[in-house]
Amino acid sequence: MGEMEELRKEAESLKDQITAARKTVQDTTLQEAAAGITAVGRVQLKTRKTLRGHLAKIYAMHWGADSTLCVSASQDGKLIVWDSITTNKVNAIPLKSSWVMTCAYAPSGNLVACGGLDNMCSIYNLKGKDGNVKVMRELAAHTGYLSCCRFLSDTEIITSSGDCTCVLWDIETGTEKTIFAGHLGDCMSLAVSPDFKFFISGACDFTAKLWDIREAQCRQTFSGHESDINAIGFFPNGNAVITGSDDATCKLYDLRADQELNTYQDSSIMCGVTSLAPSVSGRLLLAGYDDFNVNIWDTLKSERVGVLAGHDNRVSCIGVSSDGMACCTGSWDSFLKIWN
Amino acid sequence: MDELDLPQMKKEVESLKYQLAFKREKSSKTVTDLVKWIEDGVPEDPFLNPELMKSNPWVEKGKCILL
Repeated sequence: MGEMEELRKEAESLKDQITAARKTVQDTTLQEAAAGITAVGRVQLKTRKTLRGHLAKIYAMHWGADSTLCVSASQDGKLIVWDSITTNKVNAIPLKSSWVMTCAYAPSGNLVACGGLDNMCSIYNLKGKDGNVKVMRELAAHTGYLSCCRFLSDTEIITSSGDCTCVLWDIETGTEKTIFAGHLGDCMSLAVSPDFKFFISGACDFTAKLWDIREAQCRQTFSGHESDINAIGFFPNGNAVITGSDDATCKLYDLRADQELNTYQDSSIMCGVTSLAPSVSGRLLLAGYDDFNVNIWDTLKSERVGVLAGHDNRVSCIGVSSDGMACCTGSWDSFLKIWN
Repeated sequence: MDELDLPQMKKEVESLKYQLAFKREKSSKTVTDLVKWIEDGVPEDPFLNPELMKSNPWVEKGKCILL
């Protein structure tokens, strides 16, 4: 009993020291630094395409690196790879388990991955010899649902799980390379840094953690949210993190100064944030909410500058293509929409 | 949320020590850099510059397309 109590005291003391260290470097705020900047005018994006084909709720989507193809996952038990410009379905992959919660496109374009209540991450090879798309690997070890997955390359993938851990996998051998433990609640979302050296995870313990992939350590923990973090993303330059939560707010955290910089909220918004994506310059934050809309925020002035209204149910996923030209939203209404 | 057992608590303390050791930079530098980076990128952001969307691949130019 004594040792536990001592460790608890030590943990509290360390947390206080971290808070103090953060205060020491806080010699300005985002509001002050952005005071002289003109607010962005009204941003109006139109639906350019509607991708129809799924027969049930869409839970996840991810753009391919070419900014044309994207993959979506639905609880109709299918993974669909779309040509977003022609709206053609390039691949329609039937899944063993229909309870899918996440999907990912490898940067190479060769592989896609998905997983969900089966606790596994299944890797599919899109470029197989005979043209058929087959399961290449089933990564099984998590003891909870797979909430998110992101490829580092064709040989490595990171997953986040309801078992409160994230894992770095070796796809060739199908084994766990590193387990990232530390969250006290279900890990709901993850994002990889632009330089592939770090990843961030958002969890039901209301915190976001930045992990050094090779050091296998949690480098920073960000608190502030008052409920589960459902969505997380890196700022395009890799120096900031954006989170979206059931507390109806999005927050911006500065990685270099280890500070919370801003909260994006409005008294009229009372429902959870499900998904988010920054625009290519980082000036806009597009966030999907439970109330069927996407709100567009001016990240520097904290004002809502636009709304994407068009779905008939919750917006569950959102992504901005890497060239910044288009935004894709996926919804429980079974459709994906391309906006710009 | 889970309660930690002894080995997990030890790991948590180790992790907090590692996190405390992080070299924090002054906000006046980092936030200014962030704001500048964003402002530099705004002219190239298609969502903020309609001229960049002139040749928008998702908008059909004519009524017919060549198959």
